Amino acid sequence: MMLSPFFRFALTCGSLLCLVGCNDGSGDPKAQIGANPSLPELQQYLLPPIHIARVVGWKTGETPSVKQGLKIEALATGLQHPRSLYTLPNGDVLVVESKAPPAAAIKRPKEIVMGYIESWATSGGSTGPSNRITLLRDTNGDGVPDTRSVFLDHLNSPFGVVLVGDDLYVANTDAIVKYPYHQGDTRITAPGEVLTPLPGGPIDHHWTKSLVASPDGSLLYVGVGSNSNITENGMEAEKNRADILEVDRATGRYRIFASGLRNPNGLTFEPQSGALWTVVNERDEIGPDLVPDYMTSVKDGAFYGWPYSYYGQHVDPRVQPQRPDLVAKAIPPDYALSSHVAPLGLAFYTGTNLPEAYRGGAFVGEHGSWNRQVLNGYKVVFVPFSNGKPSGMAQDVVTGFLNDDNQARGRPVGLAVDKSDALLIADDVGNTVWRVTSAGDGVSPAARL
Amino acid sequence: MTVQDERLPATARIARHPIHPMLVSVPIVCFVGTLLTDLMYYATAEMMWANFSAWLVVVGVIVGVLAAIAGLIDFLGNRLIRAQPPAWPHLIGNLLVLVLALFNALIHTRDGWTSVVPTGLILSIIVVLILPITGWLGWSMVYRHGVGVARS
Repeated sequence: MMLSPFFRFALTCGSLLCLVGCNDGSGDPKAQIGANPSLPELQQYLLPPIHIARVVGWKTGETPSVKQGLKIEALATGLQHPRSLYTLPNGDVLVVESKAPPAAAIKRPKEIVMGYIESWATSGGSTGPSNRITLLRDTNGDGVPDTRSVFLDHLNSPFGVVLVGDDLYVANTDAIVKYPYHQGDTRITAPGEVLTPLPGGPIDHHWTKSLVASPDGSLLYVGVGSNSNITENGMEAEKNRADILEVDRATGRYRIFASGLRNPNGLTFEPQSGALWTVVNERDEIGPDLVPDYMTSVKDGAFYGWPYSYYGQHVDPRVQPQRPDLVAKAIPPDYALSSHVAPLGLAFYTGTNLPEAYRGGAFVGEHGSWNRQVLNGYKVVFVPFSNGKPSGMAQDVVTGFLNDDNQARGRPVGLAVDKSDALLIADDVGNTVWRVTSAGDGVSPAARL
Repeated sequence: MTVQDERLPATARIARHPIHPMLVSVPIVCFVGTLLTDLMYYATAEMMWANFSAWLVVVGVIVGVLAAIAGLIDFLGNRLIRAQPPAWPHLIGNLLVLVLALFNALIHTRDGWTSVVPTGLILSIIVVLILPITGWLGWSMVYRHGVGVARS
């Protein structure tokens, strides 16, 4: 195996960190799933626990593992950092291939070190063209796309996509852009029209802009992540960030719908209650079991704590000046997903292909941890729902993104349900879109539970 | 001119100029600077000052290690230098400075307020309090005992 000198250096550093932090004292991740996660005391470090799964990619024939009763196959491979997915009404699947925007100027020596560590975890090897949307068309529904075309190219770190009528909206990292779309199009060549600018660079720390339209199509909701871990780039850099913005589709005017959400992604309406839901990446470097990432319904006008407090009103001492007035307003989220799992995808399942147990619940794509020794996430979980609320423990549904040596073959990000009601998973370091269906063994889905 | 012309020649030197005194000014300035920018951050909570501190303390540690290596070579390279009364306290004191500054550099890698307050600021103060003592001892080695001083 080829190891660059720097990589060997990084491995050595990793081992040294391990000497300090291998026993990072983390508890059972399952104790931090659900409505009332256990929250340990906040810790601060000389060297925070860092463990990133090194990317090895998928070998031919390798796939993630799925729970019994399910089957997984690659829908498309050889993509360039696919991060989110969208199913068009005719069944065409849009794969948003996206790379991080250029890094801002270095502010601290720490960023040099962290930049190297992060590049080691996210680069899937190839540096081919990205920042585009690829269209996959499977005319006969056999799970093998018949055509694959570049649908939209030369985008600016896109993530969210939503179609309202004939208007296709793409959430680039710095703007929501509108394109004309007609059913059956395999390529859009018309120039886009900016509906509204979004907080982008020069500092653009959490750059993925998740996008969803209200059920009546009049409003768009866009997730804008914070510009730092915990305001270390200054409060000015956080303007309109760590928020979900509500955008008037007719005029582009927006308001802050909810705030204090450090990095909200996977914006989706829960089918039964009609409430807006999101998954959120919480803050780092205060312990392997802090702060649990979460999924939550998003209430209009609510404040969820970031940066001043976490999980309700647990004050974060790293923010100055503190704001007790805002902390007093902070509400806890609905459902913890465990610490550092990095949820980036959320899809409610209302289809019929998968076994009945999955109907009405939510799938969550967990990109995986870096800030704890015992890896957490790197899988797709299912959270059962009843009456519009989570009603049980999260279950691992798609695993095996890590191999036995804790190396990453892939990392799940965005999720979608395709026209045949299969679950689709964007795998950004495996450069693959996975398709999960019921195991085709002739047994009816309901009998397979 | 030969080595015999100097009473206590430094071993680590360039063109007969000892390296250690050339380098020590950098960590001294950096660590004093770290304290000043830490105090500014404490007073203003403006991240720019904490960022200055992070750079200063890291550069201070890096050049400080180089200065320590040069100093250690002089210390080990000449029995007569080792025998000077200020030599051991100077070495131990500055080793303590470097260890504290290294911890301080790691504290300064934290994000936000606690990268400085209180632990970082306290370490910066302690380091700056030790520096005049070890500096005094170092200059005594040169001015009173003639370490690295050429006679002609």
